[in-house]
Amino acid sequence: MNDERLARFEAVYNQAYGRITAYAARRCDSPQDAADVVAETFAVAWRRVDELPAGAEATLWLYGVARKVLANHHRGDNRRRARMVELDAELADLYGDSLDSGIERAAIGQAFRTLSDDDRELLSLVAWEGLDREEIATALGLSRNAVRIRLHRARKRFSRALAEADVHFTSDSRFVPAERPL
Amino acid sequence: MKNIDEIDAVKSLARVAPGAQGGDPTGAGARALLAVITSEEPAAPVRTRGYAARRRALGLAASFALAAGVVVGPSLLEDGPGVPGSYAVTRTADGMVTIQVRDFHDALGLEKRLKELNVPAIVDHLPYGQVCRGPRGKHVEDIPQGLYSLPENIPGEKEGWQMQINTRLFRPGQTFVWTISSTPGGHGSSTSTYLMEGPVAPCEPVPAPKPKVYTPEFRTATVEGRSLEGMRVDEKTVGEVLPELRRRGKKVVFLIMAIPPGNPGGFGEERTQEEPVGDDWSVWEAEENAKGVIRLLVTEERYDRNPVYGGPRDAVISE
Repeated sequence: MNDERLARFEAVYNQAYGRITAYAARRCDSPQDAADVVAETFAVAWRRVDELPAGAEATLWLYGVARKVLANHHRGDNRRRARMVELDAELADLYGDSLDSGIERAAIGQAFRTLSDDDRELLSLVAWEGLDREEIATALGLSRNAVRIRLHRARKRFSRALAEADVHFTSDSRFVPAERPL
Repeated sequence: MKNIDEIDAVKSLARVAPGAQGGDPTGAGARALLAVITSEEPAAPVRTRGYAARRRALGLAASFALAAGVVVGPSLLEDGPGVPGSYAVTRTADGMVTIQVRDFHDALGLEKRLKELNVPAIVDHLPYGQVCRGPRGKHVEDIPQGLYSLPENIPGEKEGWQMQINTRLFRPGQTFVWTISSTPGGHGSSTSTYLMEGPVAPCEPVPAPKPKVYTPEFRTATVEGRSLEGMRVDEKTVGEVLPELRRRGKKVVFLIMAIPPGNPGGFGEERTQEEPVGDDWSVWEAEENAKGVIRLLVTEERYDRNPVYGGPRDAVISE
């Protein structure tokens, strides 16, 4: 029984590890935080291995857990911090390439940060994890309809925030602040 | 402004490129994490007896404890307590300290040797299943890059591990706090490493906290001792079941089940809703929550076997 559980968990772990680490790295400011989120997410999954869905749905389920872990992580200031050195190092690799810190990206980032947590998460799941509405519904435990409506509103709010930040869209799909000539 | 694609804008912010994978599941960190996590028994199955096939997208009511304990070096075989040469600590002129550990039982000796070499360290050995009562001190949040290396194999040896610490990166008042415990059967050890600042309390061993068992909000209502004991709803239609529930004064909600192709047994939760579904929908089980609300597990389509049980309910639950 335990072997069966272990095999099942390990299969899900191997399948989802790349995506969950990416998920955490995209949302955490430091590799240590990302490592914590990854570790806690999989620890929760192991504890609840009997509820772990099979196949592709497992990754969606893990996104949902990671989202909760992340929210909890951001809240807890005094939490006991455990360090897993190899994991830190691996996550740190993901932070190695500094992002293009151009002025347009800064402006977009600023606009993005004005959104609520929920709005950011919905937009991120689409843009970063490439999930469709149904997958988001599964990950977040929402109905498809709720996802559709919330996503629509999130996009509108972000669009407004971008407009306020004077970020304009140009024909070659690059974003530039209005004051910067192409 | 209409032509702004918000999604593309968000994409430009991704630290890890959209769609790309992060870490490698075969890497040292991934394997170490897997080993730590699975070294503990998972929570007892919430759904017992025949529910194993029932895989649910149980959503997000995650209950999680803090990431337990922590860190492992490569698995370490032990060869008896306090054997000579169980560890070696060397220091180079540039302040780099290399620690090789082959046996973890001589925690005090290791600690003493580290202190001799100007590494402020506290090392405790704990039996499996115990942890030090926390918090023992204040954790350093901002760990300098390069303060310590990954534990790695000792070159040319199969057992033990080594790691390096750059003592020049220590700040005054900081202490390395190691807790080492053996895994059951003595076939390995795991190490947790914390960097603390200020006073560190002595280790007071306490049993490791048991992970919380996750209790789902809804549980089967039609079995012994529950609110619908004796009532059968499985394989009936909503129209057949609802009048009786109403007669009993029950508030009823509906879980719309998502059935995987081929109905192999098991289901996902599409949504739970209060709005009624059609009388001709099929009911596969009824659940209750603490407030006495009944949740019917339903599908619009009729299946030739009960997705909740992967077959007839009687094959799983005997009254």
